[in-house]
Amino acid sequence: MKSLKIKAQFLLAVLGASAVLCFAAPIVEAAALMDTDLSGVKGPDTAQIAEKGDPGADFTGTANDVTMADSKNGLTLADLANQAGQNKIAINFVWTLVCGFLVMFMQAGFAILETGLIRAKNANHTMMMNFMVYGLGLFAYYVCGFAIQMGGVAPVANLGGLYPLNAEHVVTLFGKPWALFGTKGFFLHGATYDVGVMVMFLFQMVFMDTTTTIVTGGCAERWKYSAFCVSTIGLGAVIYPLFGNWAWGCGWLSQLGVNFGLGHGYCDFAGSGVVHAVGGITALACAMMIGPRIGKFNRDGSPNAIPGHDLVIVMLGCFILAFGWFGFNPGSTLGASGNGALRIGSIAVNTMLAGCTGSFAALLYMWMRYGKPDASMAGNGLLAGLVAITAPSGFVNPMASCVIGWIAGILVCLGVEFFDRVPKIDDPVGAISVHGINGLWGVLAVGIFADGRSNYGGSWNGVAGGVRGLFYGDAGQLVAQLVGISTLVGVVFTMSFLWNWLVDVFVGQRAHPKAELAGLDIPEMGALCYPDYVLKTTDYGVGASSGVTSGAMASKS
Amino acid sequence: MRLVGVAIVLGGWVITIAGLLMTSSNMARAIIACVGIGVSIFGILGVLNRYYLARAIWKK
Repeated sequence: MKSLKIKAQFLLAVLGASAVLCFAAPIVEAAALMDTDLSGVKGPDTAQIAEKGDPGADFTGTANDVTMADSKNGLTLADLANQAGQNKIAINFVWTLVCGFLVMFMQAGFAILETGLIRAKNANHTMMMNFMVYGLGLFAYYVCGFAIQMGGVAPVANLGGLYPLNAEHVVTLFGKPWALFGTKGFFLHGATYDVGVMVMFLFQMVFMDTTTTIVTGGCAERWKYSAFCVSTIGLGAVIYPLFGNWAWGCGWLSQLGVNFGLGHGYCDFAGSGVVHAVGGITALACAMMIGPRIGKFNRDGSPNAIPGHDLVIVMLGCFILAFGWFGFNPGSTLGASGNGALRIGSIAVNTMLAGCTGSFAALLYMWMRYGKPDASMAGNGLLAGLVAITAPSGFVNPMASCVIGWIAGILVCLGVEFFDRVPKIDDPVGAISVHGINGLWGVLAVGIFADGRSNYGGSWNGVAGGVRGLFYGDAGQLVAQLVGISTLVGVVFTMSFLWNWLVDVFVGQRAHPKAELAGLDIPEMGALCYPDYVLKTTDYGVGASSGVTSGAMASKS
Repeated sequence: MRLVGVAIVLGGWVITIAGLLMTSSNMARAIIACVGIGVSIFGILGVLNRYYLARAIWKK
């Protein structure tokens, strides 16, 4: 009873004090800042700095550095507002560019990873495919790919608006608008010769490049170089940009939320679907069409392991890719300032966790199933986790990232086994399993695990609020993701298949069997990768599972 | 055979899109989308791949 009295007294005292404060304290109003308030603002004496320098960084970055529109009027509020805006956009430009540079460096990772997983006699050929996806893909993307993908993406607040990219071709079917492709930005000429557009171009170009380099792994050791060149140009110029537009360029998939009430429309934060699944599915179409390497399958259809030639560069390639992924995912905020972009820290941690659990899961799977911890599959598990977290990285929490990565690590092992043993599709580096299967898994994972806590400027794809998946109450988001998967499997595969069929008819996809047996370096490229080494050639299956199953699976089979 | 396979793969996507237009139920749309994905995968692995397997280099 006594304690109750004390509590009541305390409550009365608090209420009384609050009332006194409310009525007695002067009401503080936010005073409007006037130009005259800035008249006294002056920077440090430049003559003094010239004499003594500024070792303590006390006089560098001051009012002196704010650009004045008219020096006669002195510093004005308009000057400050313009400077603040420019600083925000500058931060975002630098962030996006540096992340783009990191993604570009991933090409080196892909190149040595793939080269290490194939035989030494094809090393020059594989390295040159990975090298030239940069030149061929970039040019194709510059000519028309970027315009098709991003020609109608404006406005993009983080990069200053990108207002010149304002033309999207839209058709109306069944009473709904279907945005199909952009129509501005060809050759980056005219109004698209714009500082913001250049930043967007660079960032999107290196993403496209990642897609094209995935295909080279799936078709390694038997792809005619000329066919690779033509195939890559088609992928970079049209196929990738079309799906990129539907997902990222304000195309019809991204508008499923607005037009059909499906969550926030198709959501793919950094490209599990746009980049990796497109690459993996194209690799599937090509690998199926080209057929397996000589010796990959025996006459009874049983697979042989064809080990790679350098596990050291395989593992180094995995590390380089994991490093570059910190540009891939966090960079997809397209900025570090404003519109919720400070989530970059959480995106980076999600990326890290999924890669870690992916490699751990693959390692454990292989160890338990084959009795040895397979190095190349541990590496592929890392990549599988990274691929799978790419779409959800901006929408999920760390716990979900671990689950997503873990499942990806298992999926990549099952995928490699499946493609070897059931459809008998030869994928020397596991590209279809790593990028195709786990790209699709990443797309699906957004529809399951997105927690609704992200807030990139208050809306995503024109729908207000954070993206929420099935576990957080939005079944419509899962449907949108399924529509995206169906589009990848149904439409992207069809486009890739038809294009590569044409290449097969007019160029021929497969290298000559004699060249394949001898190694493609001399017949296709005219030079060996390792001229001072004596190459040991094993006639696998001509009388001997994929390069990724070099260790554990091979010893078991 | 290859054109039939391509038609089935693309048909799977048409089924998914038809599901969006036919109903507003998320459950129904999800089921139809899964059916569409299944049809496309059948077209890839069951028709197109079978065509290429029949002509595979290791069978010669």
